[in-house]
Formats: sequence, C-alpha cells, structure tokens
Amino acid sequence: MSKELSSFAARLRDRISSPAGAEVPRLIAQERTFSETPHVGCCEDFAALALELFAVQFKHNAAYRKICEARNLTPSNVKQWTQIPAVPTSAFKELELTSLTPEERPAVFHSSGTTEQKPSRHFHNAESLAVYEASLWKWFEAHFGSAGDLIFLTPPPSQAPHSSLIHMFEVVRQRYGLSESAFRGQVAVDGSWALDFAAVIFNLQTAGDSDKPVTLLGTAFSFVHLLDELVEKNLMLQLPPGSRVMETGGYKNRSRALPKTELHALVTARLGVPRENIICEYGMSELSSQAYDLESKSSKIRNAERQFHFPPWARVQIISPETGLEAAEGETGIIRILDLANVFSVAAIQTEDLGIRRGDGFELIGRARRSEPRGCSLMTA
Amino acid sequence: MNLPNFFLADLPPEAVLSPQMITESCHTLKRNREKYLRNRTTDAIVKTLSEAGAEWLQPDGKFRKLALEHGPAETGFSKAILEKGLNGFFRQFTPENFQALLEQEIGGAQRLDKFTGPGTDGGSSRQSIVNGPEFLVHIAAGNLPNPAWMSLTLGLLTRSAQFMKCASGASFLPRLFAHSVYELDHKLGACLELAEWRGGNIDLEGRIFAEADCVTATGGDDALAAIRGELPPKVRFLGYGQRVSFGFVTREVLRDETVSKVVSDAADDVIAWDQNGCLSPHVIYVEERGVVESDKFAELLSVELAKREATEPRGKISVEESAGIASRRDLYAALTAHRGDIKFWSSHESTAWTVVFEHDTRFQFSCLNRFIYVKPVPDVADVLQGVDAVHGKVSTVGIAAPPEKMAELALRFARWGATRICPLGQMQNPPLTWRHDGRPALGDLVTWTDFEIKPQMDAD
Repeated sequence: MSKELSSFAARLRDRISSPAGAEVPRLIAQERTFSETPHVGCCEDFAALALELFAVQFKHNAAYRKICEARNLTPSNVKQWTQIPAVPTSAFKELELTSLTPEERPAVFHSSGTTEQKPSRHFHNAESLAVYEASLWKWFEAHFGSAGDLIFLTPPPSQAPHSSLIHMFEVVRQRYGLSESAFRGQVAVDGSWALDFAAVIFNLQTAGDSDKPVTLLGTAFSFVHLLDELVEKNLMLQLPPGSRVMETGGYKNRSRALPKTELHALVTARLGVPRENIICEYGMSELSSQAYDLESKSSKIRNAERQFHFPPWARVQIISPETGLEAAEGETGIIRILDLANVFSVAAIQTEDLGIRRGDGFELIGRARRSEPRGCSLMTA
Repeated sequence: MNLPNFFLADLPPEAVLSPQMITESCHTLKRNREKYLRNRTTDAIVKTLSEAGAEWLQPDGKFRKLALEHGPAETGFSKAILEKGLNGFFRQFTPENFQALLEQEIGGAQRLDKFTGPGTDGGSSRQSIVNGPEFLVHIAAGNLPNPAWMSLTLGLLTRSAQFMKCASGASFLPRLFAHSVYELDHKLGACLELAEWRGGNIDLEGRIFAEADCVTATGGDDALAAIRGELPPKVRFLGYGQRVSFGFVTREVLRDETVSKVVSDAADDVIAWDQNGCLSPHVIYVEERGVVESDKFAELLSVELAKREATEPRGKISVEESAGIASRRDLYAALTAHRGDIKFWSSHESTAWTVVFEHDTRFQFSCLNRFIYVKPVPDVADVLQGVDAVHGKVSTVGIAAPPEKMAELALRFARWGATRICPLGQMQNPPLTWRHDGRPALGDLVTWTDFEIKPQMDAD
C-alpha cells in the first residue's frame, strides 16, 4: 500500500480528531467566489490538501488515473481543487475505484437499494476505515453530543456488514457506550430491513415515562414503517423534551414515499418530537463524510431555512448539468463533493442528487431523472 | 394569448374546479351531443375534420400560428420541432385517409350512419351498425400532443360527447385543436370539454368516471392501474401503457452511397418530439460488417445530430432531465477511459444530444431528449435476444434495409411481438390507420348491433 496515502490518512485523521477538528466553518470574507468559499477550521488549507490528495490518488488509483487521463486533467495541469476530476457515483458499480489491491480490501460498503443488480462498491481496509470513523464521529458528535440514549431503527452490523450507514451507527453506538440492543431492526428473509416494533414501541413508551431524552436514528423508510405501526395501533407518544430524530436516505421502494414535510409532521404528531429536533443526514456509501441539515452546536450562524453542511474536510459544488460549470447561488444543479476523508478511493465524487447552494450550505432538492442506466426496474426508467 | 374561455382548461390558473362544475359540464356535454352530434353523418364529420386539418397546415392558420408562437414556452419544444410534428400529424387529415380508417376499423364509412349489408361477408343475410359511446372520457398524459389530438378525433367520428383530462401543464396543444374544431363548427365544439388538473384528484375524476361509458387513458402502468381501480364496473376501459421502440439497420444499406440517407432517417426519428414519445427509438441496432462500420455509423449520426441542433434545436428540459443526461454522460465518459469498445459523442456545454456506441446488445433505456444508443450486432437474431427484457412492451421497430429484406425482417419482429414495423425515419409518423399498441383504435371504442334478417322461404 502506498506510504503517501497512509501518511495523508494519518495526518488528516489527526487533524479531524484534534479538538478544533469540527470547528464550524465561518465566513472570513465578504467578497468570495462560490468555488472558493473561505473557511477556517481544521482544513483552512483545504485547497492545498485536496491538490496533494489528487496527486497521490492519480498515482496510486489506476482506475481513477485512466479517467483523469482521458479527460486530460492530471496533477500537472490541475491547479485548483475545483478542477479535480470528479467520478460519478454510478462508476463505482462498474469500476474498482480504489488504490487498495484486492488483497488489501477486508471491507466493502455497497450502495443500498433493492432494485439494483449491481451495487456501488467502496473498498476499505483498517486505515481507510479509521479515517471514515474519525470523520463520521467528529461531525456526528458536533451535532448530537457524545452521550445519551440512542435507538437505531436498522439491523445491527452483523446482519448488514456492507452498509456504510450501519457501520456509522455502530461506531456511534460504541462511542456512546451503548449495548448492541440499541439496534432495533433486523434483516428479513427477503433481504429487506424490518423493525422489531414491539421492542421499539416498548423503548419509546419507557422513554416517554421518564424525563431522559432519546434520539431515534434511521432511514426515512424505517420511520414510515414505525409511524404506520403507531397509526395502526392508534398510539400517540410524547418523547421527553430534548428527544431527537435523525432521518436519512430515500425510500428505495421499501415503503410508501412521503414528502419530507409530511414525514416530519407525522414524526411530530406521533412521537412528540418538534420539527427543530428532527435532523436530516445526507450521506452515501461512496463518501466518508456526511452532511447534516442543522447548524452544529457551536455554530454562530442560524438560518431560517435549513441547509445541509458537510464538515470542514469536505466541500460541495453545485454543477449546472447543462454547462458542466458551477451553478450560480440559488440555481439548481448536481451536487459534487470533494471529501478529503475518501483517501483510498476517490475524493471528488459526482452524485446524482440535485441541490441549490445557499450561502456556505446547500439545500437538497431531489434526484436526477432516470439516472440509473443499468439494472433499473425496466418500466419505471 | 387571446382565446375565448370556452373550455375549462381556458380558465386562468387561479380558477379552482369544483366537483359540481365537473358534473354540470358532463351533463351539458351529453345534452349538446344529443342535440348537435348524435345524428350527424360521418361524411359531415369527416369533412369538418379534414377542413380542420387543412387549416392547421396553412402557414397563416390561426391556431397553427398560436401553437408555434406560444408552443415553445408552453410545451418546451422548439418551434421547428413543433412545426414538423404538427405537419406530420395534420397531413394525415384527408377524406381518403378517414375513409381508409373507417373501412379498416368498421368495414365502411356508412356503418356509423345506418345498417349496412354484409359487404365481404359473402351471402350472409345480416346487416350491422356501430354506435360510439355516448360519453367518452380521455385521461391524457404528458406533453406530446398527437395521442390527445387522435383521441379527440376518434371520439368525434364515433359521435361521442368527450371530456379530456390533461396532465397539469399539458393542455395547451389539445386545447388549440379543440378551439380549431369549435371555430369551424360551434356545435361540434360544444360536445368537447378539456380540463387540466394533477392526476389522482379523485374528487374531480370520480365525477367524470361516474358519467362515462368509456374511458381511454395513456400513462405509466401504475397510473393506469389506479384509474382502472376507480372506474365503475359498467365503464369500458382502454389503457395505453408505456411502450418503447428501437431501430434496426442492416449491413446492406451501410454503403458509402446510401449511408447518409440512413443516418438522416435515424436523426429524424431521434429528434422528432425530442425523442419523447413511445414511438421514439431508445436504441438503434446496427449490423456489423457493413462497408460503413457500425461505429462509423454512430459517429456520422453524432455529426448529423449536431447539424440538426442548429436548424431544429432541442427544446428546454427540466433540470432533473438535464441532470439525468449529465450523470449518464459522466458514467460513459468514465467507462470510455477503460473500455475500448465504448465510444461516445455529445454536444458541448449543453445536453442537446448524445450518442453512445456500446457493444452490450441488451436493450438500454435512453434518457431521451436526443440521447441515443447505437449498438452493433452480428445479425437480427442478436437484436431479438437483446430486446428480450422489453418483450411485450415494444411499440415500433424502425428498419433500414433493402426492400427485398424488409418483409422477412418484418415477419421476424412481428412474430416476436412488435406491434408496428416501419421504415427508419418514419417512427414518429404513424398513419391515421395506426393500430395503437396493436389494437384497433376506433374499433375498440364502438359496439356493434347486428340485424339478422329472416331468410326468404322457398316457394315450396
């Protein structure tokens, strides 16, 4: 394995984990371009780090190098981090976008979704997982603190070893010092994720009787399953003040799809968690960092509109699909992320999600139409 | 745009439709049909329709001008594409073509007017008349106008009162056609109603379904199933689900002297209605080992699409569609770097057109809006294998082949299950007599009454 990548990974991990690691980006200049939003924090030299990482990835990630060469964008002519060639998430299905050799890949995360024939594959080893874990923990902690009661509406990692989301939940569980029973889901015979309703409802009722806040974490579809069950049983719960909900991901045909506002209204109605305590997470198996749509605790900036923010070691660009250039503020485009924590794969990732830049954050709008060329459910394409 | 508020769809966007308004409109339509339409002769209706068609083809025709002036903003299609599309459609509106349609579907133009004899039945002593549904409802999808125009046309021929529910934002062109009928003949126009709302509004839809004798609908399978579920049992339902189409080019026509015509025909099919119809090709299969090789064909097609963009530009598309194209292109750009067997060409700084050449023969859904796959195949057997996944969902196969090979190929595709086979370049130009999804479009609307005449007894 490349010493250069290992060295980068170790340095980045130290920075992320340092006390100022998640210090919230703050604007240091009024005059700025969209592509160079100035930040301070652990990664004020973000551009230099990004270019350094690009050079190393170009050298050691053969699949990525070919893509860069075909586009004639190489470390010798890329001068700004915004020029670093981004790889579409769909390419993770077709190509092995990693600098790890086949022997060096003890772990792999797959994209979720039941209809896909071929999932994305993000390969990991101990070192890359260590960066992932440092990254996810720091930003999670910045939003949720480091102690409390958590209930995960997903299966435990033993049942879903290829889910990056569940790996994240497992890291959080361990750092919170909670037992494995915090996972209240299981993988059903057909591979879908099911909930142990009796256990969850018992947990929630017990929490409701106490004054100890609880945080519920899960995918949008697991919340729909839970809320449907509460409606079915005619239950209205009132979780203690300070209780929170973390909701992530789409529906992927695993439940009926609810518009976000409707889902949140139901959460408030059935669980007694107010809107401001419902936090959305934006993440994917191809990344090593996540965005949350609430200002972190230490933030000085409060916005009326909720926007997603990545941690200081990952930055977003909104790309106009027509021109391939960065979209203007307020204009809808494709979300592109440069995640420094993606050390051993590819840092620059082009998603199939649509967003709008709002200040130094972004609003999530939806997905590109018919963006799945292979293995999609045929008649819905 | 200055059109009289004649249809519900003419009301300003802020107007709210109430279930009561819908029911009243249905009753008015039925009354008007009874008064003005029921006893018209087919000849009279054909005459009006032919006049309407001719009017739409006139360069200074009122509704044509409105369509071309406001259409780009209303529908997203460019003026050139709208012009081509409406020319192709209304050119069919001739008395001869209507005659042929009626002949094909019900055995003659008089069958809607009176009992007519056995004709080709040969000596039978039976006569028949056909009746259209009293009240015909159309649930029209999308912004391609042809299916909506055709539905209204067929309903006029069957002398039905018609209510067309358009998808939200998609009533403009059907509305102009209805206005053109109204202008030629107020009484005929009084038997039509058009309204626009977001599908699934059961308070409104329930009212029209309650009055309907027959409902036609175009749309996705889920939408059709939902509509079917809401219909009273007595209502006949004709659902036209999503279909896909593809092209096939044989090696014989891939010669230096013929290839430019084939490429031009292929481009015609890709740009017609910006590839948005069920009849537009997603993939063009090209036989290998022609004098002009299949990858060269793909390259020539890309050159042709670039040329067409200058004269017949693609319309505006949503950011979701645009992002869908950009994402798919990004993937192919990445794959091209790894696989020598994939090539791809695309417009610069826009998503206007894309050609992907790849050897994987499996049928591939395109992102549409002028995104075309070209796939080389050893021969037609490989095409049939490649399209297996869309079996039963294919509408049109557009073929470029020497005349002597056409019949044999047509039979192969017909036996496989394609419902329409046409020359490449004509995929989006079906004739008036087209059997939609393989079914008699007019024939499925009507019911027959047979009149069996007692045979004359022999003298002894």
